[in-house]
Amino acid sequence: MKPKTDLDYVTLYAEKLGKDNSLFRQQKMLIESQMQASSSLFKNMFSKRDFKKCAREYLKRIRLI
Amino acid sequence: MKGYTIDNGVIVINREFTELDLFVKSFIDILKKHANYLIVSGFVSISTGRTRGTEDIDILVPLLPREKFSALFKDITDNGFWCYQSDSADEAYTYLQGMSSIRFARANEMFPNIEFIPVTEARKAKFYELNHPQKIKVDGLEFNIPPIEFEILYKEIVLAGKKDIEDARHLRAFFKDIIKESKFKEYETIIRSESR
Repeated sequence: MKPKTDLDYVTLYAEKLGKDNSLFRQQKMLIESQMQASSSLFKNMFSKRDFKKCAREYLKRIRLI
Repeated sequence: MKGYTIDNGVIVINREFTELDLFVKSFIDILKKHANYLIVSGFVSISTGRTRGTEDIDILVPLLPREKFSALFKDITDNGFWCYQSDSADEAYTYLQGMSSIRFARANEMFPNIEFIPVTEARKAKFYELNHPQKIKVDGLEFNIPPIEFEILYKEIVLAGKKDIEDARHLRAFFKDIIKESKFKEYETIIRSESR
């Protein structure tokens, strides 16, 4: 199958992953780099001393709470 | 080696732990002492190899009596987590009574977070999947997810965003050797009853 759309690529990748678990390594790298980036971003945004207070103000601004 | 195997009805994903798995483990190790639960949505696809990020892990939990919830809340917050909505179990409980979610993250962190979703019988589809879990295991961590066919249909019918359609397509392709058409028919009626 020659992939043309995003869904085709999703299908192709999932089928390959089902047969070859070595592809999970790429996924692990992506997930962990995203987590590190997110952690670093918010540590820099909020002071550790007032983390919850700052975080809740931010969350109210973005309407997550 | 194949991406997954089946061992006594448990789907075993043949991969290493990620930091995201560790985060989930740290939360459900506490949660399962107090309540039944079901991990749904993004983490189901991601734990089975879908290559995208997520900022939250959606977990269905039955609406607990206040005292039981307070004990759970204390255990969670005593063990390295904070609640977005409040430091007070009573205040957090008012959200759950109103059938709104609350969120927990690790201390001094925002993401990833756990979206803690209350479920009662009134939420027919969520109540059904909570009580008919599929067990899945990653590197020794065993947890509950919906039946794969149920999760696929829920994403396609109820959520139906671009990301959800892609997640469903991933699950259909990854698990094509084990998913059953008869289950799709059975679950569609249940799911459509909630989406009305």
